[in-house]
Amino acid sequence: MILPYIIHLLIFISIYTILTVSLNLTLGFTGMLNLGHIAFFGIGAYTSTLLVMNGVPYIIAFLAAGIIAGIFGYLLVYAVRKLKGDYLALATLGFSFVMTTLFLNWSSLTRGPLGIPGIPRPEIFGFIIKTPPAYLLFVAVIAIIICIICWRITTSSFGTLLTAVRDDQLGLQVLGKNVFLLKAKAMILSACFAGIAGSLFAHYLSFIDPGSFTLTEIILVFTIVIVGGIASIKGSIIATFVIILLPELLRFLALPSAILGPLRQVLYALLLLIILLYRPRGLYGRIDLE
Amino acid sequence: MVLTQLLLNSLIIGGLYALVAAGFSLIYSTNKFMHFAHGTSVVAGGYFLYAFYSLNHFPFWLAVITTLFCTALLGAGMYKIIYEPLQKRKASNVILLIASIGILILFQNIIQLIFGASIQTISIQSNTTYTILGAAITQLQIIIISISILLYFILTWMMYHTTLGKHMRAVADNPGLAKIIGIDPKKIALWSFILGATLAGIAGILIGLEQNLEPSMGTGLMIKGFTGAVIGGVESVGGAVLGSYILGAAENFGVWYLPSGYKDGIAFILLFLFLLLKPSGLFGIRKGAKQ
Repeated sequence: MILPYIIHLLIFISIYTILTVSLNLTLGFTGMLNLGHIAFFGIGAYTSTLLVMNGVPYIIAFLAAGIIAGIFGYLLVYAVRKLKGDYLALATLGFSFVMTTLFLNWSSLTRGPLGIPGIPRPEIFGFIIKTPPAYLLFVAVIAIIICIICWRITTSSFGTLLTAVRDDQLGLQVLGKNVFLLKAKAMILSACFAGIAGSLFAHYLSFIDPGSFTLTEIILVFTIVIVGGIASIKGSIIATFVIILLPELLRFLALPSAILGPLRQVLYALLLLIILLYRPRGLYGRIDLE
Repeated sequence: MVLTQLLLNSLIIGGLYALVAAGFSLIYSTNKFMHFAHGTSVVAGGYFLYAFYSLNHFPFWLAVITTLFCTALLGAGMYKIIYEPLQKRKASNVILLIASIGILILFQNIIQLIFGASIQTISIQSNTTYTILGAAITQLQIIIISISILLYFILTWMMYHTTLGKHMRAVADNPGLAKIIGIDPKKIALWSFILGATLAGIAGILIGLEQNLEPSMGTGLMIKGFTGAVIGGVESVGGAVLGSYILGAAENFGVWYLPSGYKDGIAFILLFLFLLLKPSGLFGIRKGAKQ
């Protein structure tokens, strides 16, 4: 009884770890206020779902989820290349809304608000990942690989250049580095990982609808990154565990689900505000959010 | 006939957006950050009226006055409890923006906890429909258009002819200099939150009467109000009002050609285009995207 529930939570934690660690690449390390992250998650989810439902092998759909999200990442970063600060935040938020509107209204493709049910479990070379424990293993391995990639990136010389985009763009230009290219690389990687997370999410739940990729969901991911600390991968991973598990305590109060849902959101929002007010660097952050 | 109806609909919806945009823009001009939670003040206005008038059967005008008082208090509270401490710590605009989205989500869900997720309606007794040049318009809709136009003139007059308005413009223009000549920017910021939230209350009341109430409608309203403000120029209250009418017209005439599901898409696309190509808006003077 309790074990399937724990496995379910761990699968969610793995998916959100990918989302938050990859958001930290753009938000934390590169210092771009990217509110469009959840849109890449959605793009990945829809890409993978639609391909698999139309007979494409899972492994190709899985890779396509990352690649298509990455392409959108490049388009977004190219479109907003001249914007900074709160204008950048709002343009990326606008991008999220445009994508949500597309998911909602392109009914011939996405079935609009009805969502897409019956998404099959992944099948890799004839082997179907059917049971939740097997799915957990699959998701966890991918999450760990992505965390290691992000960790290697941020400790490499490329990672140092990314932090310079955040801290000293003028210095970079003096050194003859292409700031836009660095931003684009960070955004493409981040979007690509979010797309992969989207694919994992869709094939686990076997149902997606536009509601999973809205403003409320951005706040959850943002809260996790800010609680964990800007530019800290360790922080993001630990905060994902804490913040996904924390509202689960509410379950033991046996509240009706009509109350549980909003209460969970209230908790996230309060946590975000408290962290912003009293501990702006989060748990492990080394710098303030610009 | 269709044309007049579309024009009237543009004026009605534009008027509602303008009320949202004017408060947002007023707060932005003195505080210089995006108060996204303004959308929640509007929704709270609608729900206060629902609570006082429909649930507790206050006389209508008393309900309206208590609603406006409560929303003003809510605006002042948001500033005092969240924004002022953050500003004191020299938090950047981005932090304030994230905090404001946090407040938006917080109140949206508190409203849902109190009133439930289902749609609520405030019913009023009489709402006669008139016909102008073949287009239908209700009494309430005429009131909406009149109030939004009237408020535009009152706000413009206030900004140029009262001490508070002049102080607000001074702080908007140059907070440092305003401080030197003895204007307290914090006091002005608080007043703009109170005024902005009262405007949100008026918008909330009219939206509550004209449409239905739903806890999650704040985000959508905020996007519309914000888009209106960006089209007109975020820093100018007058520009924000005109921008909202442009948005209202674009939506109504756009839907004449496009499927109605894309009505919201029109706002987002306009918002995106303006942010990318002309972030200072049509009537904005300063403050481009590059700081």
